[in-house]
Amino acid sequence: MANSPEGARWRRSFSNMVSVGSAVIAPLRRELAALRLHAQAAFARHFDGGYDPSAVNGPGQRGEGGIEVRNLSVGYGEQLALEGVTGDFAPSSMSAVVGPNGAGKSTLLKALAGIVRPMAGQVTCAALARHRLAYLPQQAELDRSFPITLGEFVALGDWRNFGSLRKPRRRLAVSVHEAVATVGLEAFINRQIAELSVGQFQRALFARLVLQDADVILLDEPFASLDESTTDELLSLLQRWREGGQTIIAVLHDLDRVRLHFPSTLLLARSPIAWGDTSLSLSADNLARARMALGLPAGGRFGRAA
Amino acid sequence: MSGQLLGFLIGPFEAFGFMRVALVASFALALANGPVGTLLLMRRESLSGYVLSHAVMPGAALGFLYAGYSLAALSLGGLLTGLAVAGLAFKPRSSPQRQDVSLIAFYLVSLSFGILIVAVRGSQADLMHVLFGTVLAVDVNALLLIAAITSITLLVIAALYRPLAIEAFDPAFLRAVGGGGGVFRTIFITLVVLNLVASFQAFGTLLAIGPMLLPAAAARCWTQKVWPMMALATVIGMAAALAGLLVSYYANLPSGPAIVMGAGLIYGISLLPGRRRLQPRTFEEQR
Repeated sequence: MANSPEGARWRRSFSNMVSVGSAVIAPLRRELAALRLHAQAAFARHFDGGYDPSAVNGPGQRGEGGIEVRNLSVGYGEQLALEGVTGDFAPSSMSAVVGPNGAGKSTLLKALAGIVRPMAGQVTCAALARHRLAYLPQQAELDRSFPITLGEFVALGDWRNFGSLRKPRRRLAVSVHEAVATVGLEAFINRQIAELSVGQFQRALFARLVLQDADVILLDEPFASLDESTTDELLSLLQRWREGGQTIIAVLHDLDRVRLHFPSTLLLARSPIAWGDTSLSLSADNLARARMALGLPAGGRFGRAA
Repeated sequence: MSGQLLGFLIGPFEAFGFMRVALVASFALALANGPVGTLLLMRRESLSGYVLSHAVMPGAALGFLYAGYSLAALSLGGLLTGLAVAGLAFKPRSSPQRQDVSLIAFYLVSLSFGILIVAVRGSQADLMHVLFGTVLAVDVNALLLIAAITSITLLVIAALYRPLAIEAFDPAFLRAVGGGGGVFRTIFITLVVLNLVASFQAFGTLLAIGPMLLPAAAARCWTQKVWPMMALATVIGMAAALAGLLVSYYANLPSGPAIVMGAGLIYGISLLPGRRRLQPRTFEEQR
């Protein structure tokens, strides 16, 4: 039958069927693909922080890292934690926030990150509105027992590029490896995060910040329970970020490190005692005034030891 | 010998239609309960799930009061109160510790309220039915409802797997990068309520959370990855359903509790080697 006229006719009508079929299906598929893109875009607009592939910035596109604080007061119940804070964090600046215990340092960071609502005054930060602000709390509220490897965890930093529905970009694995190498955890990339030590996990958080590539990075006592060498490594990473144009604001206790690495400092005791050049802010006179403002005995320095 | 075993395993389902329907229903429930239960565990919100399962009760009881054993009335009532409670009580996820007391209070109140409503119109048997369910009484309509809810659940979880998992793990991060955290939480809690309503017919208000949580808890002992955990939880749920139905058939026991007992038994067994399995790599790899 294969070579008979009958067979030829069958083949012809079969190929006719196929072409008619594809003529119907192809536009349908095009429609479906367009619909899918449309739905993804709508989803991203509403739930994924408005994904915009053109906005993936290089270093040249920064400059939204400035934060304006105007007359900011924050309180918990009756107690005022911050009172009348006014000042600016310049774009691409690297500032330390220091002060005695109870000075409102963590509260200030939370207010900058938009986590606590001000009682009065306001914080203006373009990066926050665009989801380009990263905040590392003192104790991350994430679940360390969650089954996720270090590599996957670091890859989350690229969320604004893959979001809820899109495929990760092709070179993401390479970027993750680079970020993990930056913090010296290559050997642990396939390890569960539950198995990392405190210091290793802090490095992992920094690696995720590398990928997150935010314009503003807020850190609340990032070196609290770390050894000297880890602290120095992470500090030099901060330095590099700042050179890349990122704005860095960190709450710190170690005044020697602040003097060594942070060009500007906000000395806080519920309201700013001094804000500006580190060497001027951290004068003995100012430190004493900070303690007095909180009703602590003057003299001696504050810090974890105090 | 193997013929005898086969007869033992499939005989009851061959002989009785209601056994077949019960098996299909509990398999369908296991399909959705595996992923939902796993996510519930991952979010450390098993207590919320437990309380939600009781929030379904007053609504279902009101449905019973109005329409007797009407699937539509029971399900709709349960769905409405479940969602209402989810909306009212679970909005802020401030600190789980502080939520404890209000959740327990809620659980007690809604349970008592539901029992009182059922007692107004129904008998002791009705009460037992509402509290513990009857897998063997699942009819075709209930089966269709279960199938529909299972399908919706699986589709939604497949589509939104990534944000649902990450929101369980690090909600603050997801908010910061603009991942609309609250939306996914709402979607997930809605899925939990839907599945509790689906389980309500078969397992009743007291046991509905069992086939959701126990298989997931057992699966967590065996694997470190989220989606294999979901798959394993589903398989364990199905195994428990099969075993429970067989036991209830041969020993003439109530089938809902038998199924939950089966899942509980698997959980107990998983704890023994599973405990060691959770931490093996730290020692070996660090050497």
